[in-house]
Amino acid sequence: MAQTEFGVSVFLKLFWFFRQEWRRYGIAVAALIGVGLVTMVPPWLVGVIVDLISNEQLTEALLWRYLGLMIAAAAVAYVLRVVWRIALFGASYKLANQLRQSVFEHLTRQAPGFFQRLKTGDLMARSTNDIQAVEMTAGEAVLALFDGAFTGIIVLIVMTVFISWPLTLLALIPWPIVGFFMWRFGNELHASFRDAQARFSDLNDDVQESISALRLTRAFGREEVEEQQFNQIATAANRANQAVAKTDSKYDPVIQLGVGFSFLLSVAGGAWFIHQGELTVGQLLSFTLYLGYMIWPMFAVGWLLNMVERGSAAYARIEQLLNMQPEIADTGTVTERLQPSLEISVPAFAYADGTQALENIHLALPAGQLLGIVGPVGAGKTTLLNLLLRSEEAEGVDIRIGGHSVQALTLHNLRAHIATVPQNAFLFSATIAENIALAKPDATQAEIEAVAKVAQVHDDILRFAKGYQTEVGERGVTLSGGQKQRISIARALLLDAPILILDDALSAVDVRTEQQILTHLSRARAGKTTLIVCHRLSAVENADHIIVLDKGRLLESGTHPQLLKTAGWYRQTYDYQQLEQAVEEGR
Amino acid sequence: MKQTFYALLRYAMAYKPLLLEAFALLLLATAASVAGPYLIKVFIDEYVTPGIWTVGPIATLAVVYIVAQLIGAATFYWQALRFNRIALNVVQTIREQVFAHVMKLPMAYFDRTSTGSLISRITNDTEAIKDLYVNVISTFVQNTVRIIGILIAMAVLDVRLVWIGAILVPTVIVIMVIYQRLSTPIFMRVRSLLSDINARLNEGIQGMSVIQLTNQQQAFARAFQTTSTDHYDAKVKNVTIDGFLLRALIDFIYTLLLAALLFGFGIIELSAQGAVEVGVIYAFVNYMGQVTEPLVDMTSRLNMAQQALVSASRVFELLREPYAELAEERQPLTSRRIDFAIERFSYDGKQDVLRDIQLQVQPGEFIGLVGHTGSGKSTLMSLLMGFYPLQHGHIRIGDTDLMTLGKQQRAELIGFVQQDPFIFSGTVADNIRLELDLTDADVEQAARRAHLHEAIMAMPEGYQTPLAERGGNLSTGQRQLLSLARTLARQPDILILDEATANIDSHTEALIQQTLMELRGKVTLIAIAHRLSTVMEADNLVVLHQGHIQQQGTHRQLMAQEGLYKHMYELQQRADPFSA
Repeated sequence: MAQTEFGVSVFLKLFWFFRQEWRRYGIAVAALIGVGLVTMVPPWLVGVIVDLISNEQLTEALLWRYLGLMIAAAAVAYVLRVVWRIALFGASYKLANQLRQSVFEHLTRQAPGFFQRLKTGDLMARSTNDIQAVEMTAGEAVLALFDGAFTGIIVLIVMTVFISWPLTLLALIPWPIVGFFMWRFGNELHASFRDAQARFSDLNDDVQESISALRLTRAFGREEVEEQQFNQIATAANRANQAVAKTDSKYDPVIQLGVGFSFLLSVAGGAWFIHQGELTVGQLLSFTLYLGYMIWPMFAVGWLLNMVERGSAAYARIEQLLNMQPEIADTGTVTERLQPSLEISVPAFAYADGTQALENIHLALPAGQLLGIVGPVGAGKTTLLNLLLRSEEAEGVDIRIGGHSVQALTLHNLRAHIATVPQNAFLFSATIAENIALAKPDATQAEIEAVAKVAQVHDDILRFAKGYQTEVGERGVTLSGGQKQRISIARALLLDAPILILDDALSAVDVRTEQQILTHLSRARAGKTTLIVCHRLSAVENADHIIVLDKGRLLESGTHPQLLKTAGWYRQTYDYQQLEQAVEEGR
Repeated sequence: MKQTFYALLRYAMAYKPLLLEAFALLLLATAASVAGPYLIKVFIDEYVTPGIWTVGPIATLAVVYIVAQLIGAATFYWQALRFNRIALNVVQTIREQVFAHVMKLPMAYFDRTSTGSLISRITNDTEAIKDLYVNVISTFVQNTVRIIGILIAMAVLDVRLVWIGAILVPTVIVIMVIYQRLSTPIFMRVRSLLSDINARLNEGIQGMSVIQLTNQQQAFARAFQTTSTDHYDAKVKNVTIDGFLLRALIDFIYTLLLAALLFGFGIIELSAQGAVEVGVIYAFVNYMGQVTEPLVDMTSRLNMAQQALVSASRVFELLREPYAELAEERQPLTSRRIDFAIERFSYDGKQDVLRDIQLQVQPGEFIGLVGHTGSGKSTLMSLLMGFYPLQHGHIRIGDTDLMTLGKQQRAELIGFVQQDPFIFSGTVADNIRLELDLTDADVEQAARRAHLHEAIMAMPEGYQTPLAERGGNLSTGQRQLLSLARTLARQPDILILDEATANIDSHTEALIQQTLMELRGKVTLIAIAHRLSTVMEADNLVVLHQGHIQQQGTHRQLMAQEGLYKHMYELQQRADPFSA
């Protein structure tokens, strides 16, 4: 009971779409009803002609007329069938297209926290499998409802009213029995299918395990053991699939038997009625043809319920996703360009789960300066940047750009002020040129090359056969971590934003390249503000100001020479890294 | 594609007796089901039309009909079971072959192939072959036989009109060919656009912070819209082709032929040639209806076949991947001395990872291999394990080249304690024992020698404690000790230890050191250490830098020189200020 309610509700929930596409649905439903009616004609005519033949009343004119009618009916049915299919499925594909786009646009409005909460796999499942299930509800389920249920009713009416209702009752006797078996097979199939899927995932797990354990396998000479184990699992998968096939193979014979007995009963009963003079041979022939039309509606109902159930669960998940509001409200109004000076005041900041991340950080940076931010893992460096970028926010935190709170700026304007090179360089599946020009698609080749040179990646790019047109990602070349970082830096530089943030973005390049990048950078960014977060202190040696964070607090601050004198964390780290450098170079 | 298809069919030929049985049953099933309308025809023409109502013969006819139906259903079920069994056995054979093949591929293959796609070859692609067999090939066989059976029945009934039924078949074949030509490219396009959509979505989700920080939300939404709409357009095109060519057209042709049939009967009736029997019309009409369904069914399965063949050809491609057969035969060994003489070694043929390595390890000696990340320590040990073929130079055990040792012999001779040991799902004891036939006492002894016994006893079920996937319920240190125990249980003459990480806890380190000291002199020990303290006591410390041996000597000797080893040692005496 609950299921049917569930089912109806998904049609109600999709009502907005049916209304939006009322033309297509109107045409499709009208065509489906038309098909249902028109297909009643040929069997009827077969009966009429047969009666004429058996009564020896057939004339050529009559024959031509009836056959003409039959061909006309067939032609109309053909046209209507083409029409409903294109209209109905076209509409359902449109729904999928529309939903997919809304989901994507919705995703572009979400803050980083959202993507941490919802796993990529889950989001992907909602925007692929779930949308597909809804598409089926808007297409196949509507088809099953109108074509299946409606045709079934028309056929039943024609059979009972126009031919013989007792004969109809008689002929339908086997069907409830067939239905019962179908229901039982359905349950059996469900269980064995689940088992087969489980065995298939065992197979996946085993292969995964075997490939991961390959070195161990080779070292211990365990190849045969692995093979035996795999063969056992493959055998289990085979057996599970045999069980599925066993149930699956029962459907056809049972339907065959149902049809066979239904025919037997209708011919036997029909013969009796012919004997009584209540039925003609032609009518009996029509009747058996109509009986054939009843098979599909029987299945359509089960199919409909199944699809609607899946569709409503899927649509609920999509709706839930679309109803999530972005955590960071875009309520700012300032749209003009501001001076890139920074005032940071964070009395305290804790994450939603309660972990204290920053405490008592106060800092002012004049426009055009270079700020270095260093400190051990978990010091709160990235958190501080997230507050500046409004990826996180909290009461009491006051961060200003050119005297305006970051909350006062529109998100678009805030982001236009800041170019960020994130910790993990992310490149899209596109050419290198397109990746660099991500934020400025109309950039000229000269502009792209200029920033690539500053980022010290120009020579690397030219070494690829297709240069800047080289495809990156799965279908293209694999880049080293350092190359990705430098392309990501070039991308940020192309923006020429008032504020540039390098968030540990030089970790995978060697010291020499790092120094070259920084030298070019200082020239290219005269008058603009730059923030560098790094692990290697050499990257901030020339900073105007350096802050050392530890466990969310400001530990030390000053310039490189000042900090070296204080003999604190900075000094200790500097010495350590000097020695590390020596070892790396083999000294 | 054709070759792939034939190659697939050849697998089925291995099951000839079963195949013949299935065919025989299928013929019987078809005959029985075709007999149904024929029997009804007899009933109509000989009893109903003339109005003869004799119970005896009619009852016989009914019984024959029922028996035919039952036989038809039963044999149809049995043949389906047999065809499925053949199909699933073929898939299992292919799976086992692919897996066995993959197990033999050279290590370098795995370095350049993503694990995901390899797994997909062995599982998903073979699953597609299963679908091809179960849903396409067997359907085609069943339907073809059924159509032939029906045509024969029609010919038996009235040879003058069989052409009407026969017309349907070539017509549908023509439609199938046209349909496949038109729809395959679009079907492929729909699939590739769908994977583009998924790729864009996936990338959009993973790179969303970059998209947002560069204010590119709209541009990406637009690009997504374009792909999604292209996909929509392609699907509409696909459904249009389906609409014009599939069921609607075949149904239309069916009705036309029905009309032609009635026309034929009408003409025969009208001409003086003689009366038409109504039962014949009944049977013909019935048969015609039964031909249509299999034909529609077959046409709509063509796309699936195409897709499955692509998967199958990928599987066969993998099966053609070359591998070197490993030696099986045991070689007599003159001694357990290891002799490294490596001119150079490179993974990709361009950049040398090792060069000019000359090193002798005496039986029972304890060697420490040290060096910075990427200095070539692990590569050197991979070569000793025979993971990669050595082109320039050789490694000998006694006077025998390593590569000529039998696979099993090498595995018994050299034990390898991996850096990141693989933990199987199973109990602690299972993970030590693996496939060996060890008593519980042997397992315990190995664990004791690896100093893991205490830790195991502290676990809730001792040696029978089940381990989570990837050993999630063990610490890094415990995983390493487990790997050590597992290797010691095999009693190797040469033990290679690749220390987990520099971050291994000092407790574990002390345990490993203790084990090494106990093994010292009994087996040859080669330890790769991140913590120099683990190998300080070694007979010989080999310091690698950028693929060559930079320094060699005992700890005392090396500390006396101002060099790489001394600096590394000093660096480790300090804590890394960054790891909080």
